[in-house]
Amino acid sequence: MGSMESLWTVRRPVRELRPGDHAWLAYTGREEQHHVTGAFVRAGLDAGERVVYLSGAAPVTAPRLPAHERLSVVALGRGGRRGGHFDPAALMRAVAEAVADAGDEDHRGVRIAADMTWAVRRPGGLELLLDCERRIDIAIGPSTRAIALCQFDRARCTAAELEALGGSHGVEVVPDPEFEDSVLRIVRTFRPPGLALAGELDASRHAVLLEALTTVAAGAGREVHLDLSRLRFIDLGALNILADTAAHASGRGALVLDRMSPQLRTVVETVGWHMLPGLRLGP
Amino acid sequence: MTLEHRAFIYDGADDFVSVAVPFLTAGLEAGEAVVAVLRRAGHGPLREALGEHAEAIAFHASEDFYQHPVRTLKIYQELVQAERPRRVRALAEPVWDGWSARETLEWARYESLINVAFAGSGAKALCPYDRTALPPEIIRHARETHPLLASGAFTVRNPEYVKPADFGARCDRTRRFDRPRDAAYLPIDSADLRGLRAFVGDRAAAHGLARQAAQNLVTAANEAAANALRHGAPPAGLWLWTEGPDLVCEVGDHGSWPDATPLVGFDPPESALQRGFGLWTVRLLVDLMELRAGWDGTFVRMRQRR
Repeated sequence: MGSMESLWTVRRPVRELRPGDHAWLAYTGREEQHHVTGAFVRAGLDAGERVVYLSGAAPVTAPRLPAHERLSVVALGRGGRRGGHFDPAALMRAVAEAVADAGDEDHRGVRIAADMTWAVRRPGGLELLLDCERRIDIAIGPSTRAIALCQFDRARCTAAELEALGGSHGVEVVPDPEFEDSVLRIVRTFRPPGLALAGELDASRHAVLLEALTTVAAGAGREVHLDLSRLRFIDLGALNILADTAAHASGRGALVLDRMSPQLRTVVETVGWHMLPGLRLGP
Repeated sequence: MTLEHRAFIYDGADDFVSVAVPFLTAGLEAGEAVVAVLRRAGHGPLREALGEHAEAIAFHASEDFYQHPVRTLKIYQELVQAERPRRVRALAEPVWDGWSARETLEWARYESLINVAFAGSGAKALCPYDRTALPPEIIRHARETHPLLASGAFTVRNPEYVKPADFGARCDRTRRFDRPRDAAYLPIDSADLRGLRAFVGDRAAAHGLARQAAQNLVTAANEAAANALRHGAPPAGLWLWTEGPDLVCEVGDHGSWPDATPLVGFDPPESALQRGFGLWTVRLLVDLMELRAGWDGTFVRMRQRR
């Protein structure tokens, strides 16, 4: 797809990706990459699809991938250090083979995942890669069986490079919600690490809050941020759970409540921050 | 560290200064955190009488401190916590005019609750009452809610002091709990309280409550309903009606609460993790919360004025 298409870049959770999507992820740290790519790979294997993981030269630096007969890892780079030499032809060959295999009646479809950060860092890599991305768009776009997910490490790309790469993908992938129903949605965030809560939170959903907090607190040694910009109601029991989580997160840092609506903020101030040790108001 | 909570019933400005000044300066000498909370009009004369000592004392206006009894307890609690390990010595003059009879009684209850909430704080408080200006009823309350009396240079035990639980029970006996026949009713039967919040929120808006007052009432009603589901016995329900400028919201269930005392939800918890946090917070969120634990069930009545 051409540059016009980038105006319509959509954000889509992993589980809503569909055949023909050429998606991208600019990740912040391995945790985000594992979270999103892991979900992408698992969803494909669970659905009986083939998964092809493209990486730089061996040793392969793919995120924790499950061993599976329908999962194959293809090393693209040739020789050298840090991914090796970038050969666009090898990339296009691997993509074409995967897409061709997707037409095979034995499989329900194919998912292609690739961390291409190493290629951006080769001399002239960005231009070569952008050319490949255009051709991948043409290969994947009409397909009714193939999905591609390209990943880039934010820390190793410039803002301009990321903008150009983003413009060459029709879909930006975002994490699947940890929980979602008609009242409450909880999504992992990675910049900063934490959760985004949307909707209303009362006693009937304390258990899912606690579960989500446990998953994010597992990566210890840091502050956990809660983006509350789209939370319309929080009950006192949930505040108690947050204070309890912060109190038991010794050495892990505080829970930071970001972007609370003025109404929720006043409720918390009425309660008093001194009542909620370990909780802190963010920006 | 016991609390020293003394009433100072005085006659005129000279009498006031002769006791207030030595009380405050003794705190400075002892290295305590000294605060003077009094009506704005009194700041100038007291500063003058204190001379150079005034600089070391934190002055606050009673008009700011005394707007809602339970919130005032919280303000003093925060002050005591912020100064730890230093002890606090406070000249504390409440606001007694401009309240309804019921509100005046809640302020008297507040003075009584100070003895519970700050029992172990080691704080020293001097509460001035101007006999020449205040109604006799308020002077009588002062004698019932302060275990100590300042008398000239001395402090004496007050024989008329009434224990907070007994004083609270007496306040409670004056309450009425009738409910209009045409009150709106909503049964509470599911832990998903979204419908209840919308029910209260819509009526709060229709009554003309400010956005924040409405959100506070919704939060308080949600908490009372969650408590009724968790600790009470079914059936539980919520009633809503208006009384002039007040929107009244009552949550009731058929459970009995035999050990409920007149102090329930008044003693500030140290943190959200302690028992009593929910009811205490409900008291903070609304203009007035009244709890009735009777033979026919447990009822939490919340009132918010527009």
